[in-house]
Amino acid sequence: MTHKLDRLPEILARHPQEPSSLIMVLQDIQQEYHYLPCEALQETARVLGVKLAKVFSVATFYNAFGLNPKGEKVVRVCVGTACHIRGGALIKDQIERQLGIQAGQTTKDGKFSIEVVACVGACAMAPVVIVDGKYHGEVSVGNVTRLVKG
Amino acid sequence: MVTLRINGKLVRAKEGEMLLPVLQREKIDIPSLCHHKAVEPYGGCRLCMVEITKQEWSGRQNMVTSCLYPAEDGLIIQTHTTALIELRRTILDLYLARCPDTPEIQKLAAQYGVFQTSYEQVAKPDDCILCGLCTRICDRMGFGAISAVNRGHKREIAPPLKNAPPDCVGCLACALNCPTKHIQYTDCGFTREIWGRKFELLADKQTGRPTITREFADYLSTHRDIPRDYFEQNDESHRKETALILGKIAVWNREVPQ
Amino acid sequence: MKILKTKQLEQLAEEYRKTAGRHKKTVTVCCGTGCLAKGAQKIVEAFEEYLDRCKVRDFTVEAVKKTGCHGFCEQGPLVVIEPQGTVYTRVKPKDAESIIEQSIGHDAVIERLLYTNPADGRKIEKYADIPFYAHQRRIALRNVGKIAPDDIREYIAAGGYQALAKVLTKMTPDQVIEEISKSELRGRGGGGFLTGKKWRTCRNVDSDVRYVICNGDEGDPGAFMDCSIMEGDPHAVLEGMMICAFAVGASEGYIYVREEYPLAVIRLKKAIADCEEYGLLGKSILGADFAFSIRIARGAGAFVCGESSALMRSVAGEMGEPRAKYIHSVVKGLYDHPTVLNNVETFVNVPVIINNGAEWFTKIGVAKNSGTKAFSLVGKVRNTGLIEVAMGTTLREIIYDIGGGIIDGRSFKGVQTGGPSGGCLPAALLDLPVDFDSLTEAGSMMGSGGMIVMDDKTCMVDVARYFLNFLVSESCGKCVPCREGLYQLHKMTVKICEGRGTEEDLIKMEKLANQIVAGSLCGLGKSGSKPLLSTLKYYRDEYLAHIRDRKCPAGVCKNLITYRVNPDLCTGCMVCVKACAYQAIAGRKKEPQVIKEDVCRKCGACVAVCKFNAIDVL
Repeated sequence: MTHKLDRLPEILARHPQEPSSLIMVLQDIQQEYHYLPCEALQETARVLGVKLAKVFSVATFYNAFGLNPKGEKVVRVCVGTACHIRGGALIKDQIERQLGIQAGQTTKDGKFSIEVVACVGACAMAPVVIVDGKYHGEVSVGNVTRLVKG
Repeated sequence: MVTLRINGKLVRAKEGEMLLPVLQREKIDIPSLCHHKAVEPYGGCRLCMVEITKQEWSGRQNMVTSCLYPAEDGLIIQTHTTALIELRRTILDLYLARCPDTPEIQKLAAQYGVFQTSYEQVAKPDDCILCGLCTRICDRMGFGAISAVNRGHKREIAPPLKNAPPDCVGCLACALNCPTKHIQYTDCGFTREIWGRKFELLADKQTGRPTITREFADYLSTHRDIPRDYFEQNDESHRKETALILGKIAVWNREVPQ
Repeated sequence: MKILKTKQLEQLAEEYRKTAGRHKKTVTVCCGTGCLAKGAQKIVEAFEEYLDRCKVRDFTVEAVKKTGCHGFCEQGPLVVIEPQGTVYTRVKPKDAESIIEQSIGHDAVIERLLYTNPADGRKIEKYADIPFYAHQRRIALRNVGKIAPDDIREYIAAGGYQALAKVLTKMTPDQVIEEISKSELRGRGGGGFLTGKKWRTCRNVDSDVRYVICNGDEGDPGAFMDCSIMEGDPHAVLEGMMICAFAVGASEGYIYVREEYPLAVIRLKKAIADCEEYGLLGKSILGADFAFSIRIARGAGAFVCGESSALMRSVAGEMGEPRAKYIHSVVKGLYDHPTVLNNVETFVNVPVIINNGAEWFTKIGVAKNSGTKAFSLVGKVRNTGLIEVAMGTTLREIIYDIGGGIIDGRSFKGVQTGGPSGGCLPAALLDLPVDFDSLTEAGSMMGSGGMIVMDDKTCMVDVARYFLNFLVSESCGKCVPCREGLYQLHKMTVKICEGRGTEEDLIKMEKLANQIVAGSLCGLGKSGSKPLLSTLKYYRDEYLAHIRDRKCPAGVCKNLITYRVNPDLCTGCMVCVKACAYQAIAGRKKEPQVIKEDVCRKCGACVAVCKFNAIDVL
């Protein structure tokens, strides 16, 4: 695991080394590794002078952070209100069924993760599914499998 | 000093002091689960809510938590109106859905006529009422070893990464102040175990009895200038003194920058 | 280049207008989130590539302008030819060539790309003639979709930073607050608190340090107005904040941007950097004795951080847990210093008020609700998008005149405003004027401006369940009524959706909901029962249908519906048979199929693939 954290010192150096930088540092770590590795949390606590318990509570409080590695392909299903009333729940069910995991989980082979997100501001094309950062609008139960696996 | 009217009775209080201690001084039976004088008021349990108004508010009333509302001159306070009693019943009813077997909650709920929850019991009930006293007191002691993790209904109190907490010194402040005795610890001979971590207890040189953990003594001697051997002669005769010193730690914390 | 005097600001505007005017025509491509998602970036590239390739002498690559959201997301990606104002809808990259050749090279209009008015089937060419735009009044969105948001000169050329220059040279802080107070501008974040009053309170607190924070957290699912403003006109946000900072005496500001808005962060960062370069942020701004700096704090995904005390804790790097506010954050806010927290839309209104005067502003809208309000009009409405109307415009005008009515000609059932803190309003209230007070009185609230239109296929019990589920996962968990109470309310709505509810539950829910309102610590809990209470009030019959008849009239709640093949419509094409993952559909080819009720999992796959609308949900 240690070899993976070689970017950490650089991330920590981007921000003032004070407790108020905590969220920003965690965001950068999340962006780099797509999750928050334990060792990174410990190092962050040490460098910013924040108790590890506090780092852990912040890391588990916000939706943006995850403590487990993500799959190679991240499928984000919008469950905002506009998407919901245009059938977003059915889409989410279908993706979960297809991949055999629940939202928030990663498949055993590490290939897919499903995440839910409450509104991405693309309500006009609801329901929306974002696969690896690419937006797909007006998704239907019929075509979602192709989007996800294709 | 300011004058308040509590349930019709005129009461003097210091300006700006919170209403809850005033009510407690007046021997008004007001429930509260998340309040402790050693830490900042929290406002989490919502049981100590009271109704307030003022002459000049032209009939407008406000429901506030007494632990967080400062005394102001002319404040008119009601502590047991029907609405307040109903609110407390609902809160205790909700507590019982989470902690159905917790004696402290059962007792308090029974006082308000709630004997079992009318809601759906949670899947894995326990004794934690999430009052946050343990973490707040731990922070106040200066350790910050445990914290609230996750949020909303999934919130729980845990050591970091759910492993043995590195910043814990085994002082037991969390466990001893837990209103529902949810935080478990064991003292067995000269070994203490809490939060999945083992500590060695120092021995009193005279009586040979265990006193406090080595880590706590180290902390006090390095951070609080209390001589290291003080805790090795902690016999009955100056136990009171020790308690006083430990009690003051919280106050010192405020002055010593972290 | 540092602008040291206000005169230089005007010169710069003039110069830029001249250089920009070099292009006789400009192609503006909407690059709002909606259009980008529909492939606007590819269109920009196609335009640039074609211009590059043909090296047309009269117009250079700069003539393609990437703007913020035009609002008419439904018809995106949008391309507008300026100055004619010709709007092309649903443009594809391959259209770039013909648009340049015909509309830029010649003055021809490409018929097939024009918007078709669904009312009469006629093609409409000009922006202003499209009904979607014709009924709007754009103040907060004045520049959004018109200027290139990543170029400060565009904003300056559009009259930007003139208001800042005015307050710095001709006004005292007190006069600024007086002007904002007179305008009766109310906080656009939802609460509707008087902005001038807030600024006055902050200024009056004795303190060396004050902060200005812009709330761009916009957590309401189904709302993206603030997002569009931050992306499409970031400088207007900065200018509003600067004026506020001057008025209250602050020298540091923060913009708290929602986690899901990465583009807004990029645009704001660029805008801040440009301002620093031009001397509009930093020390002695425009030569005046005024210093101000702005930093961006990115949210990390927590709805509760829309609440002021939680937001301030989050800015300080902590977990976003609200504190009880018997001392208001205006007095004791960020790092315990007096802090003005206003929403994005509130700030962008400020420069306009300073420029045009409070009196002008109060003439727009209705009494005590001056000005306009931006909304994201979404859901089952025909013209989804970003709109802005004068306060007091009725729901009917918004949904029917601007929104074009309900999709597929279905019937209107309700509109949800105010997000998870607001409520659902029924058809009987369609003539309700949209302003802070009317909405609150009707049991909803303005909120930040999400407007979600629902038709007869939307189940209101499911909507209440949806919002409660959202709030349960977003509650911080500090206080009991919100943490435990909303959880129990959600459980009860689930029970009703699954057909296990009783009429007693309704009474119990109403009581608990009211207790949560009374007992919760912060706004999230205090208003969190509104979606439930408003649906119980206006759609009680629908709850009763779930309870008494075990039916979901809208055909949404899975336990209470059945899928059935309509034999009159089914052609026996067998597409649904292949789509069904559970082998629940069987039948012979070219004969009506049959769905086995006991096997069917109601996933909707068959409905989605059936081209003949032959599957009924009953």
